[in-house]
Amino acid sequence: MRLARTIAALLIAGTIALPGIAAAETRLNFVSWQKGEVGYGDWWQAVIDEFEKTHPDVKIDFTLMPRDGYSDAMITQFAAGSAPDIVHLTSFEYVTFADNGWLEDLGPWIVKSGMDLHGWAGQDVCEWDGKTQCIMMLYFGYIMAYNEQILQEAGISAPPTTWEEFLAAARATTIDRDGDGVKDVYGTGVHMVSANSGWTNDMLIYALSAGGRWTNSEGKVIINTPETIEGINRWRTLVDEGLVPPGGAELDQLFIEGKVAMRLNGPWVNAFVQKADPAIKPHLKYAASPMQPPLGGASNVLTLAAETPQEKKELAWEFIQLSTSQKFQELYSELGASPAPRPGAVGPAAFEKVPHMQLLIDATNAASAAGVDRMPKGLEAQNNEFTKIAAEHFQRMVIEKLPTEQVAAEVQAAAEALQ
Amino acid sequence: MTDLTQPRPATTPVRRSSGLFGIDLASPRHAKKLGYLLLTPAVLLILGILVYPMLLAIEISFHDVKFASLTFGASEYTLDNYIKLFTSRDFWNAIGVSARLLIVVTTISMLVGLGSALLVNQQFRGRGVARMLIALPWAIPEVVAVITWLWILDSSFGVLNWMLMQVGLIGLPVSWLNQPLPAFTAVTMVMVWKGFPFISIMILAGLQSIPEEYYQAARVDGANVWRRFIWITLPCLMPVLGVSLVLTVLWVFRDFSIINVLTGGGPIGATETLAIMTYEEAFQYFRMGYASALGVVTLIICALISAFLVKKTSHAVF
Repeated sequence: MRLARTIAALLIAGTIALPGIAAAETRLNFVSWQKGEVGYGDWWQAVIDEFEKTHPDVKIDFTLMPRDGYSDAMITQFAAGSAPDIVHLTSFEYVTFADNGWLEDLGPWIVKSGMDLHGWAGQDVCEWDGKTQCIMMLYFGYIMAYNEQILQEAGISAPPTTWEEFLAAARATTIDRDGDGVKDVYGTGVHMVSANSGWTNDMLIYALSAGGRWTNSEGKVIINTPETIEGINRWRTLVDEGLVPPGGAELDQLFIEGKVAMRLNGPWVNAFVQKADPAIKPHLKYAASPMQPPLGGASNVLTLAAETPQEKKELAWEFIQLSTSQKFQELYSELGASPAPRPGAVGPAAFEKVPHMQLLIDATNAASAAGVDRMPKGLEAQNNEFTKIAAEHFQRMVIEKLPTEQVAAEVQAAAEALQ
Repeated sequence: MTDLTQPRPATTPVRRSSGLFGIDLASPRHAKKLGYLLLTPAVLLILGILVYPMLLAIEISFHDVKFASLTFGASEYTLDNYIKLFTSRDFWNAIGVSARLLIVVTTISMLVGLGSALLVNQQFRGRGVARMLIALPWAIPEVVAVITWLWILDSSFGVLNWMLMQVGLIGLPVSWLNQPLPAFTAVTMVMVWKGFPFISIMILAGLQSIPEEYYQAARVDGANVWRRFIWITLPCLMPVLGVSLVLTVLWVFRDFSIINVLTGGGPIGATETLAIMTYEEAFQYFRMGYASALGVVTLIICALISAFLVKKTSHAVF
């Protein structure tokens, strides 16, 4: 009898105390592919540390999910009703989630908290279906990384600044050193493997330089225009003349190994350069992309899931506010070695740490001013399908040596059918 | 002398368990109930993790949905997915690629597996090392192995092209992963490399179970090596070969990671199997209803192939 009374008392005490204990520590789920990454991963950890310091009763469960399969896993989580509290997505996949009504309309949150997004780089990409679906975390422009030693060996004293100079430099730096019929160095590199956005992104670099693009600012498909066709032909010249590695994979790795002379890429190319062999690294330099306007675009976004409980949404929003504050945006520029989207977020520390920071800022501004984005306007919700269809057509064009005009017309029709 | 008339010491009466819900499961009368009870957790688990998702996938395949919900009958039923599937050029291409891959990879894997098993079944110095080397590709995680192969097959700086050029088999580097035929060859090569060790290990176990007396009797009768192989080794191996064949066929048909990492189904659909197409439809284009229809068709094809092979190989054995 006594034992029964003791157990009952313990149960009642537990019933009263446990919710209190649980309330003492709220946990927010945050999943990202950037956890542990040098630069961006360090920045996320700094934001988390600060948030937990200012919110002692909140813990953030920061979980790594590899980039490959990230959107699959997130879709599964959302579909199963267990979305993360802090949602981190790439800009080219968020529309899928928004289109399905899974994301919170951030408009009222922005108004309520007084967040100023005026001049925020790439924020317009987050507007979908008349709502603000996310906050842009990175908008970038492409720059050119080049191997100065290879260029000088080929008699080129300064990095190219136009398409013609770039082509001449690519021809001069595609070298078979030992005359065995196998090229040891390629002028540049373009994505040639799996039919995915790697193809359309690389081709868009050249299409932009010729005044073309996939869709115009109204979302009309303009692939079979003379400008875009000229751009595709520029890309094709590099491929047909063998100025790019035919494998077309791991191009950044080949660049830092001295097997590719010039590489057009986003700010993250610096992370590869830092890993280069000490004998090669001093020769790796940066310049503005000779293809103007440069390819650019939104990279990744932060947002909230519509189904998250209100209390957690409020905490997650506070986390977003902290990450978009002046202090942490400056730290983003410094640690991420790329300009943060908040206006005036590149401080002296970032300039000191990243000597080519001004190039990155100029590239971002140039891409932004030209309204460039990797995700074609009007095809946002069908982006994956468009890139696959377009890439397969262009693959066929190269393999079967089809006329560019014919293939451009086919891709135009396929893209229009998707809209 | 023992006094048999001595009274037996009093023993404590055996306390019989009242059993579950008053049923004595130890009694022979309830033996069947005990059997069912013990099977229940496994059956529930199978129902939960196999049957329920399978039924759900079949159900989703009759809805034209982008994202599926986990409840039955969430939207209107339709045959659109199946009509679209059977009139799709991509689907028939995927069927063709899957069939070609199935025939080529299974045949080569079985032959290489059999050959290597016969080799390491012989007595020679270093046999242990040879057996370990044969098993090695099977032990390496699939994705890790395929990434290594990506470097080996790199057309610009890969070691395979270098070796082939050194021995004079090719004059110029082969673009292994962005030309249709070389890409199919590369996928076949990697799948055989990854798949044959399993067959080899299975056959090796089968070879070791063949009584030596059979071979001795055949030698006495004057049978040469080839006849001994045809009339003793092969028939005795049939059960193992049958199981290996079924498992290999199913593996080739379902394999996703090797093709996805190597070629992603390209170039221009040259290596796009049903598994790759299902993944793309579900997780690239987010057409879960259509992807489920593809999954259902794949399931039916796998079931038919398995049933056919099991029937054939079981006849061969018994």
